[in-house]
Amino acid sequence: MLGPVDWIISLLSVLFEASVVVCSLRRKSFRRHFFLNLYMSINVLVSAGQFRVLMHYGRSSLEYRYFYFYSEALLIIVLYFALTGLYLKVFEEMRVERYVRLGAVLLLAGTACFTYAVVSQSSHRMLTYFVFELSQNLYFVGLVLTYALWGAIVKLKETRALLVQFVLSLGVYFSAYAASYAMSNLRPDLYSYIFRLFPIIGCLLPLAWAYAIWRVPEDARLAPARLAVVPR
Amino acid sequence: MSRKLTVVLFAMLVLAGAMGLKTAVSASGKPTVVATGMPAPWPW
Repeated sequence: MLGPVDWIISLLSVLFEASVVVCSLRRKSFRRHFFLNLYMSINVLVSAGQFRVLMHYGRSSLEYRYFYFYSEALLIIVLYFALTGLYLKVFEEMRVERYVRLGAVLLLAGTACFTYAVVSQSSHRMLTYFVFELSQNLYFVGLVLTYALWGAIVKLKETRALLVQFVLSLGVYFSAYAASYAMSNLRPDLYSYIFRLFPIIGCLLPLAWAYAIWRVPEDARLAPARLAVVPR
Repeated sequence: MSRKLTVVLFAMLVLAGAMGLKTAVSASGKPTVVATGMPAPWPW
C-alpha cells in the first residue's frame, strides 16, 4: 500500500513537471526548448495515466506493470531527443547539426539493435522484454551522453547559463540514479530503503529545470571563474 | 578521418561505455528505469 509520503512525492513530481511547461509558456520560450517541454508535458500525461491505472488495478497488478514500463520507455526516448536538442544548442555555432542528428539516429538504432540481439533469445513476451531492455539501455546511453556533453561544454568554454543549468541538472539526475543503483548493488540489504529515494530523485530534474527557466534569463552568461594570463 | 567516421566512432564508444556501465551498476538485476515520480510496480 502507498503511504501519504508516496502520494505527496508523486503529487510534487507532477506539479514540478507542469511548472516547467507553465514557466516556459510564461517566459515565451516553449518553442526554444521544445524537446525539454515536450518531455515534461508527456511526463505529466504519463503520470496522470499511471495514477488512473494505479487506482483502478493496484500497484502489484499486471496492468499497472505493463503501463508503467511501456510509458517509461516512451519517456526515456523523448528524454533522449531532449538531450539531442541540448547537443544541437551546444554545437550550433560549429554548424554540425547534420552530424549531431546523424549520430543521434545511429546511436538510437545501435542501441535498438543491441537490445534486440540480447532479447532475441527469449521468444516468450519478446516485445515486452525488448521495450524494457531498450529503455534501460537508453537510460545508460543518456547518462554517458550527458557526461560527454558536459566535457564538450567545458572544452568549448560555454557560458550560456541556462544551457549549463539544463545539462548540469540532467547530469545530477542521471548520476543520482546510477549512484543509487550502484549502492543497492553493493549493499542489496539496503535496496528497500534506497528504492524509496527514486521518486524523490525523479522530482529533482523538473524542479531544477523549472527554477532555471523561471529565474535564469535567456541571455544570461556565466562569468569566467578565472582568467588565464598568457605570455606574448 | 572524415566527420562521418568520427560520428560513427563516437556513437560506438558511447554505446560500449553505456553498456559497460549498465553491467557494472545493475548487476543485481534490479530494473533501473524510474523517470516519473509515480511509485514503481511492486513487487518486481
